[in-house]
Amino acid sequence: MASAGAAGPFWRAAGMTYVSYSNKCASMVRNCLKEPHRSEALDREKVHFSISKWIDGKPEKPCKFLIFFLLSSPPFFLLGFLFIE
Amino acid sequence: MIIVPATTGQMGVLPGHVPTIAELKPGVMTVHEGTDVSKYFVSSGFAFIHANSVADVIAVEAVPVDHLDSNLVQKGLAEFTQKLGSASTDLEKAEAQIGVDVYSAMNSALTG
Repeated sequence: MASAGAAGPFWRAAGMTYVSYSNKCASMVRNCLKEPHRSEALDREKVHFSISKWIDGKPEKPCKFLIFFLLSSPPFFLLGFLFIE
Repeated sequence: MIIVPATTGQMGVLPGHVPTIAELKPGVMTVHEGTDVSKYFVSSGFAFIHANSVADVIAVEAVPVDHLDSNLVQKGLAEFTQKLGSASTDLEKAEAQIGVDVYSAMNSALTG
């Protein structure tokens, strides 16, 4: 419903994807909760993943990560990309 | 009936609503069930209204408004307003603007 050909929302113009935007908003809301809901919610924010590099068709030993907040441009994920306007 | 905070404004949904997909902005979703009214703060997301009068509201975080702590909201709003003033790159400005939007919405949810 925005004017046709507009740059779209300000965050997209700044190079952010919808998923990053949505996750940032969610993170801000979680930080404003009262206990005990806050600790439960912050637990939900944790992401565990394991990455292994492949060389010559063989995987090296995987390394495990735990990050507390998805970075704006995670190089490791292929996120579902939803284009909004 | 529900009222959802669409990016195009507050949208009321009753049975028989035209099928719609609406992008939501951070704000309050009000659910009216008979005389009961419950308010939830939605971080952002979508509302899908189907032809069979079923509506789905999808959000990463949706919390009852009384789960929000107003001191933390005030602090966050002040912090992001200050960041918005001192932001230099486009990305920093966008992040600060998002912060201001989300925290102001939470603030109005608590005070409104």
